Amino acid sequence: MSAEDSSDVRCPRCGEHAAPGARFCENCGTSLGAPGPDAGAPSEVTLELAPTVVDPDPATGDASNQRACAACGGVIAPDGYCADCGTPGQSERDHFEERPAAWVAGVCDRGVRHARNEDAMALAAGGSFAALVVCDGVSSAPDSDVASLAASRAARDVLVAYGPQGSSTVQGATSRRVTGWTDAMVAASRAAGQAVRGAAEQLAATKGKDVTDDPPSCTFVAAVVDGDLIVAGWLGDSRVYWLPDAGPAEQLSVDDSWAQEMIAAGVPRAQAETSPQAHAITRWLGPDAPDTDARCAATVPSGPGWLLVCSDGLWNYCSDAESMGELVRRYATSDDPHSTAAALVRWANAQGGRDNITAALARVSPTVTGQR
Amino acid sequence: MAEFSAEVFQNEFLSDGATDVHAVVSVTCTGAGAGAAAGTAGPAGPAAGGVAEIVAVDTSGSMQGRNMEAAKHAAAVAVDQIPDGTLFAIVGGSHVATRIFPYPNARVPMVAMEPGARAEAKRAIGTMSASGGTAISTWLRLADELFATVQVPNKHLILLTDGKNESEPSAHLDQMIANVTGRFQCDARGVGDRWVVEELRKISTALLGTVDLIARPEDIAEDFAALVRKSVSRGVAAVDLRVWAPQGSQVLFVRQVAPEVDDLTSRRTEVNPLTGAYPTGAWADETREYHVAVRVPAKPVGSEQLAARVQVAVGDEVAASGLVKAKWSDDSTLTARISPEVAHYTGQAELASAIQEGLAAKAAGDEATATVKLGRAVQLAAETGNDEATSRLRKIVDVENEEEGTVRLKRNTAKLDEMALDTASTKTTRVRRA
Repeated sequence: MSAEDSSDVRCPRCGEHAAPGARFCENCGTSLGAPGPDAGAPSEVTLELAPTVVDPDPATGDASNQRACAACGGVIAPDGYCADCGTPGQSERDHFEERPAAWVAGVCDRGVRHARNEDAMALAAGGSFAALVVCDGVSSAPDSDVASLAASRAARDVLVAYGPQGSSTVQGATSRRVTGWTDAMVAASRAAGQAVRGAAEQLAATKGKDVTDDPPSCTFVAAVVDGDLIVAGWLGDSRVYWLPDAGPAEQLSVDDSWAQEMIAAGVPRAQAETSPQAHAITRWLGPDAPDTDARCAATVPSGPGWLLVCSDGLWNYCSDAESMGELVRRYATSDDPHSTAAALVRWANAQGGRDNITAALARVSPTVTGQR
Repeated sequence: MAEFSAEVFQNEFLSDGATDVHAVVSVTCTGAGAGAAAGTAGPAGPAAGGVAEIVAVDTSGSMQGRNMEAAKHAAAVAVDQIPDGTLFAIVGGSHVATRIFPYPNARVPMVAMEPGARAEAKRAIGTMSASGGTAISTWLRLADELFATVQVPNKHLILLTDGKNESEPSAHLDQMIANVTGRFQCDARGVGDRWVVEELRKISTALLGTVDLIARPEDIAEDFAALVRKSVSRGVAAVDLRVWAPQGSQVLFVRQVAPEVDDLTSRRTEVNPLTGAYPTGAWADETREYHVAVRVPAKPVGSEQLAARVQVAVGDEVAASGLVKAKWSDDSTLTARISPEVAHYTGQAELASAIQEGLAAKAAGDEATATVKLGRAVQLAAETGNDEATSRLRKIVDVENEEEGTVRLKRNTAKLDEMALDTASTKTTRVRRA
C-alpha cells in the first residue's frame, strides 16, 4: 500500500486510480486484470447471518419474511423489485439491519456502484450497555465480504464478554472503566484479526491457493456505550462520531490513512481527502496486517446525542464532524436510531452510493446514561 | 385452459442522465382455441356458448345490385360458419336499423345456432332489399341492444357498408361509438370505393377490431367466413394489458405494434395509482406485441431500477408478466445499442402515420406535404422490410430514390389503391429474430 509507487493504474470503468497491485477497483469494484472468477460475483463461501430484525407490520403485527425496500421503505414484490419505486430488492448480505435495542440500530448496505457489500456490522445492547462494530472489507482483495462479517462478529462477541452480562465485566469508576474498555477494545480487534485470518485460511483452502496470495482484509471500528462512558477503537478509516444535541460534534476515531497522514503533515483536509491515494489505509485487519491492536479514544458525554459508527461509504459524502452532526440531526426525526440510520443510508445512496454504506447509531440520552 | 406468456425485448442500459425506457413486450396466448372449439359452455369457459355474433349488413339504396347480392351471399356464408350453440342475430342497416333475424316479431332477440335456425336465417337474409340512407349509429345501437340481452363474455359484430355515413351528423356516430365502447368488439368492412376509411377506422379502433377494404363484392363471403372463424376461436374474453410504472414516473405511451399498430395510451383505466389497464379484447391462440415507453427519474450510474411491470390480466387474474428494467451505465458500448425490436416497431409505427398523413394531405390538395410524407413512408417501408406497404405505395407514387425517400406523386391513381394503402397502413411486419 505504498503511496510512492509511480505506476498509474486507472480503472477502465470509472477512471479511479488503483492501488498498486490491486485486482479490483476500490471505487466501483470492477476487475482490473483479466476477469477472474471472483469478479463481481458473490463469494462462494459465506457465513451464517444472525437473524435480521424485521419491522412488524403495524396493522397485523406480522413480522413475516416480507422484505422492505431499502430505497423507499415499500414492499419488495415477489418479482424481486419494490412494488412502489421499482428499486431491486437486495440479498440479506447486500442489505441488512440490526436493532438490538430501541436505542441502538444499524443499517449495512451495498450502495449503488459496488457489485457486492463488503461492509459488515455487528451490534449488541442491553440495559445501558451497547457495542457497535463496523468493518469495511477492502475491495481490492477478493472475499473481503466474508472477512469483514467474520471480523465484526468476533469483535462484538468479545465486547459483550466485557459487558454487564459477560464473563469479565468492566467495572469501577470512570477512569478505571476507560482502562478496562481500552483493553477490551484491543482484545476485540485482535479477535477480529484472528477471525479474518481464519476466514482467509478457510477460503484459501477451498480455492487451493496460498493464504498470502491476495488475502482478504478489512478495516475495524467499534464503539462501546457503558452508561456515562463512550469508548472507541479502530484500525483503518471507518469512523466513530460523537454528535451531541448541544455542543460541538467530534470525530472520536482518527483515520489510519494516507489522507490523515497528509492532514497531520499540514495538507488541507479537502485536498487530502480528494487525492487519488486518499483511501489508502495504513492499518487494517488481515493475514498481511503488521499489527491488529486497535487505537482507542474515550469520551464522557455531558448531554444527550447520537453516537455514530460508520464506514467511508457514508462519511465520504460528509466528512467533517460538524457537517455530520447537521446531517444526522436533519434525518433524526425522532429518537429512533433505526429510521435515522436507514435515512442516512438512503441519503448516501442518493449522493451516488459509490461505496458500501454502513451507519450504526446509538441514541445516548441522560435517562440511558443515568440508569447505571 | 388458455395460457399466456410475455417476453420483453429491450436494451436496459441507459446513459448517465437518460430517463426514457423503451421495450417491446411480446405476448403469446396458447390453448384458447381448444376451449372455443370444444363447444362445452361453462360460466367462464371459452366455449362456442361463450361467443355471440351479430352480422350487420348495409341495406341502404346505394347497395342496390351487385353489392346487395354479394352482401346477402356473404351473410349466408357467415351463418354457415357460426358453430352450433353460438348466439347470433342478423341486422340490416340503412338510415334505421332492422333486425332481420330472429324475425322482428320473434320473442327472443338472439338465438342459439342450430340447423333449423341456420336455414331460417338464410331465408330471412334472402328477403333483404336495398333502400334508404346510411346512419351507422343506429346499427351500433341495435347491436348493443341485442348483445345486452345475452350474457356471454365474447360479443362480436361484423359490420359491412359500401358508403359514407351520410344520413346523420358525424357527432351522432362518435357519441354512439363512445356509448358502446367496452361492450362488444367490431370488425368493420367497406366494399367498393365510396366508403370512408377514417369513419370505419374510428369504429374498429374503439371497438378493438380491424378495418379492411373489400375491393370486389365476390370477396366478401370469404372475408366474413374468416372473421367468424377468427371470432369463435377467441377463447379468452376481456384481456387487459396492465402496465405498472414506479412512483414518480410517467408512462409515455403503450402501443400495440403487431400484428397491427394501435395506440392504447388514451384507453388507460386506473387499477391503482401506479398501474393502468389497457383493454385488448378477446384472444385466440396468437401473439401480439406491444411497445411500452416509460420516463423515469434518472439515477446515478450503476443503479438498477424496474421501469415497468407489463402484465396480462384475464379478469382480475394476472396470467403473465414481463419486467422492463433500467440500468444506468457510463459504458457507451452498452448504452448506445438500440434493441432491434424497439427500432423495428418504432419505424413501423412511423410508417403507419406517414402513410395516413400523406394520404390525408393528398386528399386535401397539399401535394408538397403528401410528397414528403409518402416519400418518408417509402423509405421506412424499405428500412423495415415491409414489402406489402412498399408495393402498395408504388401504386400511388413513383419512387426516385428509395433509400433517400424521394418520390413523385402519380397522376390519376385509382381511389381503391389509395384506400387499400390506407387500410393496410397499420398492418406491421414482425421483426426478424435471429
